[in-house]
Amino acid sequence: MKIAVCVKHAVDESELRADPSGKPILQGAASKVSTFDKNAAEEALRMKAKSGGEVVIVCVGPAEAKKTIREALAMGADKAVHVVSDASGRDSLATSYLLWKALAKSGPFDAVLCAEGSSDTYEGQVPPMLAEWMALPYAGYASKIELSGSVAKVEQSLEDSSQTLELTVPFVASVVSEINEPRYPTLIQIMQASKKPMEELTPQQLSGPDAPTSLSRVLDTRVQSMNRKKVVFEGAPEETATKLLDALKAEGVIGA
Amino acid sequence: MTFVVWAYSEAEGVANEVASAADEIAKSVSGSAAVIDLDQERPGVSSPGRKLVLKASSPLADSPELAAEAIFRAAKAAGPSAVLLGATRRGREVASRLAVKMKVGCVSEVFRLKAGAEELQGERNMYAGKFLSTVACRFPCVATLKTGVLPRLAGRQGSVDVIDLGALSPKVRLLGRAGKKAGTVDLKSAKVIVSAGRGVKKKEDLQMIDELARSLGGVLGCSRPLSSDLGWLPEEHHIGLTGLEVHPNLYLAVGISGQLQHIAGIKDSKIIAAINTDKDAPIFQAADYGVVGDLYQIVPAIKKLVSGG
Repeated sequence: MKIAVCVKHAVDESELRADPSGKPILQGAASKVSTFDKNAAEEALRMKAKSGGEVVIVCVGPAEAKKTIREALAMGADKAVHVVSDASGRDSLATSYLLWKALAKSGPFDAVLCAEGSSDTYEGQVPPMLAEWMALPYAGYASKIELSGSVAKVEQSLEDSSQTLELTVPFVASVVSEINEPRYPTLIQIMQASKKPMEELTPQQLSGPDAPTSLSRVLDTRVQSMNRKKVVFEGAPEETATKLLDALKAEGVIGA
Repeated sequence: MTFVVWAYSEAEGVANEVASAADEIAKSVSGSAAVIDLDQERPGVSSPGRKLVLKASSPLADSPELAAEAIFRAAKAAGPSAVLLGATRRGREVASRLAVKMKVGCVSEVFRLKAGAEELQGERNMYAGKFLSTVACRFPCVATLKTGVLPRLAGRQGSVDVIDLGALSPKVRLLGRAGKKAGTVDLKSAKVIVSAGRGVKKKEDLQMIDELARSLGGVLGCSRPLSSDLGWLPEEHHIGLTGLEVHPNLYLAVGISGQLQHIAGIKDSKIIAAINTDKDAPIFQAADYGVVGDLYQIVPAIKKLVSGG
């Protein structure tokens, strides 16, 4: 079983600050492996534990993304493929194309796992786009993946229902964070991660005449103002409870 | 070339939202809008113009894979300038696949759509809702629209045209479907939501929060740890970035610290209130009214006042 896990080098949204004009300070901003990608890596490692084989981390990102790749490798993956490419201006169509080409070059894979979306932009477009480029069976929002032989049974979590899908390998799947609890790497694993093989590729090596240009773009980003009243009540429970209810009644959001 | 916008969502309510956005965009550039139904015409789905009913040898509506292929084939013949879909989990898959098939750009979860001369523009949340971006995509394009924020189109005009696309077969087999449990909460349309977080010490105590929600005429929600990590409540109660985005009149967060991912799901609420022991908890920065204190004392005190008054 050869399993690929696609990871994103993401801006750490909780650390991201705005400059005085309200624009995000992306230069030098803290970054990390996109939160939910850890669930995809965890699932791949569990599949490997059952069926044997190899887990390969695949990432399209700038040189600094090595840090993100090592985070994923430290969880227990065997090796990595890094498509070194600056993120600025690259949309999900172009990213998914590069991932496809990188997977084709370092594969074939029996399964390609992604997170349902990234923690910074949360578009959720790359996994189904990848399935489409690769012309493989796809299950999105997987909350359970059961593999027996070359057949995978996937529980898919949708808004109004949960579905059971049957796919044959090779396939692409995106997982929801409820699927598992990602492991924490040990100190030794973190140290070993930097010694694991990491192949570097460039977009130029991978792009054919069918390569899409980025057709969607971000024109402007500004901080969302949190115009909340921030009235805080402290004191005895009966007293604060009364004050809270009075305030909510005055706002007309609960019955008087 | 005439400007034509197509609208589709597998969910009827969302389909009417997307149809209204398509109508508005089309009108702004003197174009026309059409609504897509798959397999059969849905009487509950409105259209400002034509309805295109796409059919094939295999059912399309249940398969995002086939839905995308069907819309692609119809689009190849008709050449719409934009295809708008609802940003549901199925809708995101259809849109992403369609973008690859059509080799066009795709913007996701957008609202406040505008048609420029050469591109579609819209706004979307970024970095867990901390920031707002204006995004653009050159025509022809695909877009998924944020659900629950647009008006729903009512009524229907224009013809219903059935297009048969011949043989299509999926790569994935659907073995079964289970609806979410009966009595499922409708948090999307709730006016009052009381949500529980990690501050609740044990599962049994959720009853107290649920009772508070009911006494205020609302329903019970929760932050991610309670549904995902602890499994105390089903996933459909989970409010936040990867769960539901809600917009009630009152959102009362009980024992929720206020991680960015949670705030992303509640920031469109009219009034946000919070109860938390830690007065430095980030939830207070995102709330209109906060009570610093032990929820095990405050919640009973509120309940007593509500039922007593």
